[in-house]
Amino acid sequence: MSASFVHAMRRKAVRLTVNAVIAVFALLPILWGFLSSLKPTDKIVEFPPRFLPEHPTLEHYTRIFADNAAYFIANSVAVSAAAVLLTLALGALAGYAIARFRFAGRDTLMVSTVAIMSIPIASLLVPTFTLLSWAGLADTRLGLVLLYAAYQLPVVVWMLYGYFLSLPVEIENAARVDGCSPTRTLFKVVLPLSKPALVAAGLFVLVFAWNDFVVAVTMTSSETARTFPVAIYFYLGFYGREWGPLLAASIVSIVPIVAIFVLLQRHFVSGLTGGGVKG
Amino acid sequence: MSAVRFSGVSKNYGPVVALAGLDLDVAEGEFLSLLGPSGSGKSTTLGLLAGLIDADGGKIEIAGRDVTALPPEKRDLAMVFQNYALYPHLTVAENIAFPLEARKPKPDAAEIAKKVEAVAQSLGIGPLLARYPREISGGQQQRVALGRAMVRDPKVFLLDEPLSNLDARLRIRMRRDLKALHAQLGSTIVYVTHDQSEAMTLSSRIAIFNHGKLQQVAPPAEIYDRPANAFVANFVGDREMNFLDGKLTTQGGAPGFVFAGGVVPLIASAAAVAGNGALRLGIRAEAIEPTRDGGALRGSVILAELAGPDLFLTVRLGDGAEIVARADPRAFTAREGEAVSLALDPARIHLFDAETGIARHHGAA
Ligand SMILES: Nc1ncnc2c1ncn2[C@@H]1O[C@H](COP(=O)(O)OP(=O)(O)OP(=O)(O)O)[C@@H](O)[C@H]1O
Ligand SMILES: [Mg+2]
Repeated sequence: MSASFVHAMRRKAVRLTVNAVIAVFALLPILWGFLSSLKPTDKIVEFPPRFLPEHPTLEHYTRIFADNAAYFIANSVAVSAAAVLLTLALGALAGYAIARFRFAGRDTLMVSTVAIMSIPIASLLVPTFTLLSWAGLADTRLGLVLLYAAYQLPVVVWMLYGYFLSLPVEIENAARVDGCSPTRTLFKVVLPLSKPALVAAGLFVLVFAWNDFVVAVTMTSSETARTFPVAIYFYLGFYGREWGPLLAASIVSIVPIVAIFVLLQRHFVSGLTGGGVKG
Repeated sequence: MSAVRFSGVSKNYGPVVALAGLDLDVAEGEFLSLLGPSGSGKSTTLGLLAGLIDADGGKIEIAGRDVTALPPEKRDLAMVFQNYALYPHLTVAENIAFPLEARKPKPDAAEIAKKVEAVAQSLGIGPLLARYPREISGGQQQRVALGRAMVRDPKVFLLDEPLSNLDARLRIRMRRDLKALHAQLGSTIVYVTHDQSEAMTLSSRIAIFNHGKLQQVAPPAEIYDRPANAFVANFVGDREMNFLDGKLTTQGGAPGFVFAGGVVPLIASAAAVAGNGALRLGIRAEAIEPTRDGGALRGSVILAELAGPDLFLTVRLGDGAEIVARADPRAFTAREGEAVSLALDPARIHLFDAETGIARHHGAA
């Protein structure tokens, strides 16, 4: 066995170990939560704790769906999806305009976009609630969609702007000469080439909207507009801590987002512009 | 009516003058090459014509219509970009079909497919139609870019160094094809290149640029034989022109040109035209005959290059100036270090104003 082979094996072993440690740290709480959600209520907080449930049960899952979880999940899906689409639509238009067109106030717009990104959402809660009430959109799903889009738009504009800038401008020029208006160029050439950036920005908004608790709990009060994270929180409040349903609901809330990440991962790994321009 | 007319068109990038007051007419059906060194404003001229660059001043007309303020998509042009600019997310077939898809009214699918197929065949990229640009070679990409332009019937074709990345043989073939295409379709073509033999073989006229300024527009032979100034004289031709700085003189009653390294005889018409100031004599290597002795100038060979049927001798004169002369190696040879004598054909001597470079006298071709 050559020294370099041993060396390579050792490096591989080290890398494997490091990854395993990271994975354990990241996944253990989730695994623990999942296993605990399968335990009957009295076993969840038992001491000393036991890792595996002795008699697995789905009672907590049955319970949350009896508590109308499906409706709140549907709310979350609708609000998140709408927020993602709205933010991407506005962000793509704004980002493209800033990247490719010279117009008065362009620099100011760019600087303010960056500045707005640094404002913490907590400090915006009260004013946005007031605004939303004035607009008659407090306690509505539409209100949440608009807020999520507003909060995430600056960072999405920034991300897409940077990506558009990195595209070779000759490809767009070619489209123009070939007969495309700027709008058609955006839709036929720029956006298809920007799939990785759109996916990344979309996931960014999705994670925020799907996980948001603070904004939703501030802006909504009725069950009609309640999203899933708020619904989960209710298991912590009214009837004492209900660990079982709380854990079950948390696990359920993780599933869709993980599924989407896995589904889309190949799209945001690599660029798509290979072979377009020389050199 | 000219197909294209530039009137006083200029473009600056900050302090860089990319194009200075361009006046240029391209006739209907003409094959005009824009030739010049790197950074001379060729692509800028094409970009302005395509509407991709906004002019700082001046007027651009296409087929008699003022297009200065018209966006590219309304100018009805087809363009091949210097770096191809293929659509990476589309297949070769879709790339070629793209300009047809964007037409209004859009041709029907069968017609588009037929045209794409025909163009791909003529460019020898038929088997590549289903591939993506990243899956084909540089030369193939360039042909796809050509195909995307050829599939249309635009007012003017704009080609920015479309053959630069092809191997020598393919380049010659594509040159022929382009020429045939031009003859057959009678389309107006504005063609950017910095390969002068390409410009010479393809063009009806050549426009020579330097530092954003148009130097001369003329048919290839005229550019070569009657260069408007010293830059053009130097730029065209396989080898740089030989230049000597000096002034007129008479030697034993005969007109001559005196410079630090000696005196060169001139013909009477040259001496008559040229006046009295500082001049620059220009002469091509093929108009200088190296001999053992008997020429007007003497020097020693510092480099002997055999290029096919020609032997090029770089000779250092007494004053340090270097001159390249061409010999027929069957009639005359010399080695590095040998002393030779150079006979400059007086009939083929050009004279330029030493300061402005403007031609004062053209020698015979
Ligand atoms: N976008 C730009 N910003 C600043 N300067 C530019 C820009 N585009 C071109 N220039 C400058 O303008 C001048 C002319 O450029 P142009 O691209 O027309 O040259 P070219 O003749 O096509 O050269 P090449 O043979 O290298 O392609 C150059 O000095 C170049 O640096
Ligand atoms: Mg160029």
